[in-house]
Amino acid sequence: MMKIPFIKYSKLWFSISILTVVLSVWAIATFGIKLGIDFTGGSMVELSFSKNRPETEQVQHTLESEGLKQYIVQKAGDNKYLIRTSFLSEDQHQSLVKKMQSTFGKDGSVVHEESFETIGSAVSEQLRQRAISSIIWVNVAIILYVAYAFRGVSRPVASWKYGLLAIVALIHDILLVMGAFAVMGHYFGVEVETDFILALLTVLGFSVTDTIVVYDRIRENIVHHSAANFPEIVNVALNETLMRSLNTTLTVLLPLFALYFLGGESIRNFSLALLIGMASGAYSSIFIASPLLVYVEKWQRRKTA
Amino acid sequence: MVVVPGYANQGLKWVNKKANLGVPLLPQKGFNLGLDLQGGAHLIYQTKTEQVPAGDVASAVEGVRDVIERRVRGGLGVSEPLVQTTRVGNDYRILVELPGVTDVNQAIKMIGETPILEFKEENKSPERDLTAAEKKAMDLYNAAQQKKASDVLRSILNGTSFETALNQFSEASSSTAQKSGAMGFISRDAYPEIYDWAKTAAVGSVSRTAIKSADGYSIVKKLAEQNGPKRVGAQHILICYKGAESCDTAITYTKEQAKARIEELKKEVTAKNFTDYAKRFSTEPAAATTGGDLGTFTSGQMVKSFEDAIFNVPVGSIVGPVETEFGYHLIYKKSEDAPKEYSVSRIYFGLKQKSDIVPPAESWKFSGLSGKQLKRAEVTQDTQTGQVQVNLQFNDEGTKLFGEITGRNIGKQVAIFLDGEPISIPRVNEAITGGSAVISGSFTILDAKLLAQRLNSGALPVPVELLSQQKVDATLGADSLQKSFKAGIAGLIAVMIFMVAYYRLPGLLSVFSLLLYAVLNLAIFKLMGVTLTLSGIAGFILSIGMAVDANVLVFERLKEELKLGKPLRSAMEESFIRAWPSIRDGHVTTLIGAFVLAWFGGTGFVRGFAIVLGTGVIMSLFTAVTITRTIMRFVLGRFTTGTRLFFLGGKPVSKL
Repeated sequence: MMKIPFIKYSKLWFSISILTVVLSVWAIATFGIKLGIDFTGGSMVELSFSKNRPETEQVQHTLESEGLKQYIVQKAGDNKYLIRTSFLSEDQHQSLVKKMQSTFGKDGSVVHEESFETIGSAVSEQLRQRAISSIIWVNVAIILYVAYAFRGVSRPVASWKYGLLAIVALIHDILLVMGAFAVMGHYFGVEVETDFILALLTVLGFSVTDTIVVYDRIRENIVHHSAANFPEIVNVALNETLMRSLNTTLTVLLPLFALYFLGGESIRNFSLALLIGMASGAYSSIFIASPLLVYVEKWQRRKTA
Repeated sequence: MVVVPGYANQGLKWVNKKANLGVPLLPQKGFNLGLDLQGGAHLIYQTKTEQVPAGDVASAVEGVRDVIERRVRGGLGVSEPLVQTTRVGNDYRILVELPGVTDVNQAIKMIGETPILEFKEENKSPERDLTAAEKKAMDLYNAAQQKKASDVLRSILNGTSFETALNQFSEASSSTAQKSGAMGFISRDAYPEIYDWAKTAAVGSVSRTAIKSADGYSIVKKLAEQNGPKRVGAQHILICYKGAESCDTAITYTKEQAKARIEELKKEVTAKNFTDYAKRFSTEPAAATTGGDLGTFTSGQMVKSFEDAIFNVPVGSIVGPVETEFGYHLIYKKSEDAPKEYSVSRIYFGLKQKSDIVPPAESWKFSGLSGKQLKRAEVTQDTQTGQVQVNLQFNDEGTKLFGEITGRNIGKQVAIFLDGEPISIPRVNEAITGGSAVISGSFTILDAKLLAQRLNSGALPVPVELLSQQKVDATLGADSLQKSFKAGIAGLIAVMIFMVAYYRLPGLLSVFSLLLYAVLNLAIFKLMGVTLTLSGIAGFILSIGMAVDANVLVFERLKEELKLGKPLRSAMEESFIRAWPSIRDGHVTTLIGAFVLAWFGGTGFVRGFAIVLGTGVIMSLFTAVTITRTIMRFVLGRFTTGTRLFFLGGKPVSKL
């Protein structure tokens, strides 16, 4: 079977990755990620209009007449509006819905409140903190586990370095997803809610799984062969696991595509985050994590020599 | 059978019928669907525990939880509400989940309207004095204001026009129009200093000093003068009767008796002895000190019948008896005049007073007795008056407290507050140690019943505030459920097609394990009562893809082993063993993520996702390794050489 020289073109892969990561970081830094009400506090009303969906300006006008200053009005589906506002008390909420119904519930058109969500600042603060600490803890736990799983392998690269490199690949994936959402937030007003953190954490697990499979094969090949030609061992391992990597990624992406296209509005962003993260996870374990391992080994040799 | 009990039961029924067996039917329990799939409401309340001593907070919050649960079960008829307490830092929160409830507004009202019952006693502690620092700051401010006033005055005396200075320097006050500084026509009562100046000043003139009045310094300009309305000074004697407005409860006169009494007094009273009589006989509580003096008043300030009787009679006459809602009056007209009024405008510099800094003392203070110590409330009727009242029975702690409160307030009033409003302020005649109290406001029987019912279902020991709410309409939930179900099926089929197309026979075998995986997983969700939310279903769909990961690893290994020329059976066994470390490590990292997620979520949908993902990962280890291997061992025994088409392509399988 044909062997693909992955390691030989490491510099190309790194350049691509560095470019995408730099772009992502730039997007995150300039646009920022649009946080949804889960993290900022506020209210979100979803209204459906059975017949005549009014124009955005009309809805905005009604909001103004209710004394609301900060709001975002978005069309959703064929007959719905999503309205995000600052925190509404229950009285304000009821008054708003009544106003919408009296203003647009004419000519047989029924205005119905599909869903309502309001998050106080105390709750959003708590969610924000938990999101950050959970991401940190997942990373710590994964480094520890990978270091433990590879504890037998200390030649030519120490086991904890495997863990560290797996995390480098993982950070690459996370940055890519975040960058994509920063861009989408800027251009399409996509906001990020708690389920985005779910997606990120799932991507974390998956990305590492992928990397580990390749590393596992490297580990196995080191035991069987001598560690003399490390780059070659890594390249062989990559080729041996390539079909597995592609196929696994495909079997995960297939249901995600189904979810993205068929799962409905409310789950679309969630599945998109997973799609980007999973694809990037597969890419990074082949094109980043393994070539990096070779570089670390080379660098070590140069130091000892 | 657990997943679709309906069909399974039909089968069992059939068996039972045919074979006459008594196989028990399966319970038809549904999946535990999250709010986003079945509709409903999720509310988070903050408990306000500031007033509760630190040691009692946890139990008070538990109390709130219990009360809310009773309320939503009884009042709203929600059969499976989820009411939980959580602690975030020092905040205690209550999570209320109301599956299937569509009228969230009513639910919120039900929970929020739960009455807060408090017993309060008169607050005798005086207002606090100013602290030294506050006093110093106040004096400094006032001195600065005085200086400012005299500076502006000097500049006016030096030629600046009054209006210019007014525009530039005057502060706003409640009695002064901001722009013009006009105060309108003032009376001597409100601004004696300014009034007295205006009395002698010419129209159009400006005061040559900054006049100090109660509220600050004013540089005043007189605009106009006019004769004021007629003003009458009077004194009165009141005889009230039981049932008349504001009549002291100690008075036992009937209306007729009061009338007779006032006629009696009328015969004796003169201008000379009026004050003395008022002090001795008037039922007005303050009369003993004031002698019934009402000061002066203009038209419209008194009750109509009272005013009509006194306003147009000569000074010195005694009129009456006059009937008002307060009882019967004898009135002595002391004076009549029509003082001048002056319209002025002023440049105002306000002074700060103690009352601007220290808040006024509350007239009631909390006694420690609240709805928390209530055992039972019931509607009763006063045996004498027939008045509807609510009888409160305290528990042991409440009985003791109530005894102490009534004991130290004999002769004083105790107020019963409901939701911050006094509903009854009875006077305590003696210490009550029996542990029961009566609320006798002006209830209708319906009000009283409602109050008793609300008190019984529990008064909140501490107030709560709605922090956040989530509400999903049932149709939207059903729509989401249907869509995600469709997506799940589509995803499953896509994965199956791929596996069969790429791995042929082993792929087909893995499809069986995959189906088994899906069914077993759903059964676990049901049996463990895992709450399935939209993201949980997404997690499940995702885990379908991950479940075949182990199979992919094994099959790729199998291909390699076969390429090395190993016989089919040993190649298969070898591939399972060789692939195991990778499978294990991969699954563990995903499990780590699931565990952290479960912790991150605390409750609700994040945890649902984590549990679904976690069980999925563990389950797939079982199905993809154990089940697939068993099936493959069974099937491979039937194949001989040369059947490579059914396997994985590549070299023909040479030996078995």
